[in-house]
Amino acid sequence: MQKAIKKESLKRMRILMLIIFFVFGLLGARLMWIQLVRGNYYKEKALQNQLSDTVIEAQRGTIYDSNMNVLVQSATVWKIFVDPISISDSGENAAEEISENVAKILKLDAKEVLKKCKNTKSRYEIIADDVEYDEKQKVLAYLSENEYTSCVGVETSTKRYYSSSSFAAAVLGFVGSDGQGIEGLEAFYDNTLTGTAGRLVTAKNAQSGSMPNNYESVIDSTDGSSLVLTIDDVLQYSLEKNLEQAKADASAKNAYGVVMDVNTGAILAMSNKPDYDSDKPWTIKDKKLAKKIKSIKNEKKRAQAESEALIAQWRNRTISDTYEPGSVFKIITAAACLEEGVVKPDDTYYDSGAIKVEDRVYKCHYRQGHGTETFTQGLENSCNPWFIHAGQKLGVHSFYKYFEAFGFTEKTGIDLPGEAVPSAGVTYHVEDEMGRVELASESFGQSFQVSPIQMITAVSAVANGGKLMQPFVVKQVLDPEGNVVSTTEPKIKRQVISESTADELCLMLESVVKHGTGKNAYVAGYRVAGKTGTSEKLGTLASSEGKKYVTSFIAFAPANDPKVAVLIAVDEPKGSNVGGGTNAAPAVALVIEEAMKHFNVQPQYTEDEMAGLEISTPDVTGKSVGEAKSVIENASLKCIVVGDGKKVVGQSPAADRNIPGGGTVVVYTQKNYKAKTVKVPDFSKLSVSEVNQLAAECGLNIRFSGNNLESSSVTAARQSIDKGTSVEKGTVVTVYFISSSGVSDTNTGD
Amino acid sequence: MERTYEPQPDITQPRKAAKRKKPKLSLFGYSQIGKIDLPFFVLVIALLTVGLIMMFSASFVSALYNTPDNDSLYYIKRQLLFAVAGVFFMIIISKIDYKIIRKYTLPLFIGTVALLVVVRLLPPVDGVYRWIPLGAFTLQPSELAKFTLIAVLAHLIALHPERMNDKKYILLLGGIIGLFVLLLMLEKHLSGTVLMLAIGLGMLYMGGMLNNKKWAFPVIVGGGAAVLAILIFIIYKNPSINGHAYERIYYWIHSEADPLGKRWQTNNSLYAIGSGGLLGSGLGQSMQKYLYVSEPQNDFVFAIVCEELGFVGAALIILTFCLLIGRGVKIAKTSKSFYGSLLTMGIVFQVGVQVVLNIAVVTDSMPNTGISLPFFSYGGTSLMMLLMEMGVVLSVSRTARLEK
Repeated sequence: MQKAIKKESLKRMRILMLIIFFVFGLLGARLMWIQLVRGNYYKEKALQNQLSDTVIEAQRGTIYDSNMNVLVQSATVWKIFVDPISISDSGENAAEEISENVAKILKLDAKEVLKKCKNTKSRYEIIADDVEYDEKQKVLAYLSENEYTSCVGVETSTKRYYSSSSFAAAVLGFVGSDGQGIEGLEAFYDNTLTGTAGRLVTAKNAQSGSMPNNYESVIDSTDGSSLVLTIDDVLQYSLEKNLEQAKADASAKNAYGVVMDVNTGAILAMSNKPDYDSDKPWTIKDKKLAKKIKSIKNEKKRAQAESEALIAQWRNRTISDTYEPGSVFKIITAAACLEEGVVKPDDTYYDSGAIKVEDRVYKCHYRQGHGTETFTQGLENSCNPWFIHAGQKLGVHSFYKYFEAFGFTEKTGIDLPGEAVPSAGVTYHVEDEMGRVELASESFGQSFQVSPIQMITAVSAVANGGKLMQPFVVKQVLDPEGNVVSTTEPKIKRQVISESTADELCLMLESVVKHGTGKNAYVAGYRVAGKTGTSEKLGTLASSEGKKYVTSFIAFAPANDPKVAVLIAVDEPKGSNVGGGTNAAPAVALVIEEAMKHFNVQPQYTEDEMAGLEISTPDVTGKSVGEAKSVIENASLKCIVVGDGKKVVGQSPAADRNIPGGGTVVVYTQKNYKAKTVKVPDFSKLSVSEVNQLAAECGLNIRFSGNNLESSSVTAARQSIDKGTSVEKGTVVTVYFISSSGVSDTNTGD
Repeated sequence: MERTYEPQPDITQPRKAAKRKKPKLSLFGYSQIGKIDLPFFVLVIALLTVGLIMMFSASFVSALYNTPDNDSLYYIKRQLLFAVAGVFFMIIISKIDYKIIRKYTLPLFIGTVALLVVVRLLPPVDGVYRWIPLGAFTLQPSELAKFTLIAVLAHLIALHPERMNDKKYILLLGGIIGLFVLLLMLEKHLSGTVLMLAIGLGMLYMGGMLNNKKWAFPVIVGGGAAVLAILIFIIYKNPSINGHAYERIYYWIHSEADPLGKRWQTNNSLYAIGSGGLLGSGLGQSMQKYLYVSEPQNDFVFAIVCEELGFVGAALIILTFCLLIGRGVKIAKTSKSFYGSLLTMGIVFQVGVQVVLNIAVVTDSMPNTGISLPFFSYGGTSLMMLLMEMGVVLSVSRTARLEK
């Protein structure tokens, strides 16, 4: 019995062993599943735990103006965060102590900070953004002194700094809190500016501590590229100043303008008023409007009004808005007529004050009619019947051909976001739906809409000899080291009209400024060509406030060799004498003058102007230096003071001598002075402007002699004092000019 | 294999001892019958060596960060001390006639129960009643209890094997098992309770309980499993019965819950095992031991083993345990006395169950009960007891007729 029991028992031992082996087998299979089948899944999970992956932010690129002044740049700032769990481990009063001291350094509300410090469910509570270096260092110093380094941490981030808060805001745009471009160039060139973020991968233990063995892998960040703009700070400043003025003078809703290099299509300045601060885009800049919105009681309505106001202030109206160009468009009609040869500048037409096309009668703004006028005079007077007549002679097909050619049916392709898209049948009539009546309206710039950027690009084509350019704002892209990566080459879209037609039209437009509706844009010494425009805003006829207008003026200079075009539009001006000539032209003149001076275009006075400008030198001998200076400068002359004395003892040229306006008078203040001398340079073969420049450098006064001085095809032939002769500064040298058969003659095909 | 060692001198003898004459070995008045079983001894030493190395590899980071002096050698120093002492005792015990143990069965039983009661009366550590402080070290009575239960059951079964079908006798045995189970439950020692239950049932089965019934095997094993399953189900449905156990069952079923809290250890154990792949990251190269797998020196040491040595290493270790168990069973089967067989089998079975439960927990195949892996997990009492049990098996092997 006992033996049998023992035998059975031994059998059972074996069974039990086999069961254990079987379970071992199952566990082996389980291991196989975890390690071999699901291994990668778990490995990835483990790595997610073990590696701390920090993003190294790339520095966003800088934006420079055309003179390499910094407009926008990014700088490193710091985020400061607290670790409430560590704080609670660091002693009873740690939270109070830390929040009080850190809040003091960072100028924060200590209560808010304390609240975050006590949120012990979290390990990461940001208490301050955009902290600058000095403050960050102070915080770190405080932490290490008090052994709280594990409680508070810092993280780098970047902040965008704008050289001046609203300067060129419409062009530059702004970035969101995550550093991403939202408007303007910041948005359009976001990828270029952004760069590539890098990564720092380090091993960490489960308590986020560093590891005894340093595993570290760095993928470097690549900083963003920088942009060099075509924007010229001098002109941008001038444009903005004058837009503000024009807007204020006319109590207008908006004013906006563009300055373009006519030969390349480069945008030299661009602005909207009112606009916004690039560093505070979410603040409504128009204080009156902000107050008005704040007073709205209904929360929903207030929020809506606020967002509408923000969108409105961000809107770059020069490219996103469309308007009826009005009479400014007569430039295009004239260009088409001249190019097609249907009208010549001297052709005449009798304006009776109205013209009938089919069943519609169009009245001239000058009700009595201008009578018989040449085409040039028609342009000067902005005579609608003349242009309706010209348009009818041109015909729908030809008109539409030029409408298209001048780029009004396509986007200009400027490198800024939000350009208005021309829409056939909506913003303009296609050829098929244009009858004689539509043609009549369109001939003087009504019944279709264009954007300001389209208009100035088209007029620039007239100014530059017929080439339609693609406007652009970014001249160069630089890599982070400052090397040029790419340069924007001016892009000619097409030759729209011939050079000779263009030149002819330039002269006609110059005469608009000299004699016609554009008089207010006249700048003495500079040959300005331009055209006014006034158009009713559509859909406002029924408004109780009466008709609303967009008035504009477009001009370019110098008329014989155009360099710069300026368009200024004033939206909804108020007052009795509303019109482009009143509201926009004076501002355009000021911008043009600034541009001419900035680009060192020497004033070219006509003979009439020069005669009028010859100034008799005042007698300042015996006067105090200050007095002498003001007397001379009041006479539109320049004054150079030599010596330290208080009284003027001598002058050159002597009193009552006629010298050209803008000339120089040298005054001497020390007794027994030795007159400053200068060697007369060689003026031969130089142009009027070059002579002027050289003379200004030497301190000599020049009297010009010759015909047709305003033409670029004249050069100096003789001079009254031989080159190399030593003369006193301020001496008047007469330079004789003759016409030369220069290159420009053949080019213009005269 | 068994024959190869036969002509060789007894290598378990220190060199000094080897020079002495054999009669001197009967140090404890026990006349030598045979030599210890060399394969079993080699397997024990092999597992102990690998276990120490892996415990050190798994523990040095945790020791560096978590021990008072940031001493990365903290655990291995203590474990080595116990290992050396344990091996010493193992050899001594292997030389004693294991039947001496049988004589002291009653004192052993009373002493163990007394210790289990004392530990319950002492203030709890971390909410459980498990350790009796003894100077610089602590004593864990539950480790002793495992062996005591085996020894008591072996004694009683061998005493009256014919009564294994007697209900009263079975009730007596069951009562002893129940006492141990109850005491460990009072200790709030979940894994100990489960282990006691397993050892008890295993011993009854091997002792030939119900050997006149064909269905004895399915009833005992199936019944045990069913009781366990029902118990788990009842606790899962009624958390108030045992909140501690409920929590472990809940988070075993809901593996997506609380990844940073209750599931942290198990999840990170799985990450560690999975990271190991086929060949592992290499000895000492575990990343998960950097405080991810909590207390990697204890119950979860095998996770780090899997990460560092890969599936191949883990499988080899499981295979070594198989060899150890297989060899143990062979010793039990060839032992001259039924008592010796049962004692050996009980010890081997205990090791097998512990390995199974530990690996099952580490691989998330069952709720986390907190059971240690023999030879690998950190724990002085546990390792000492284990090595002494191995000494008992070796002592039995002397009397076994291994060479057929």
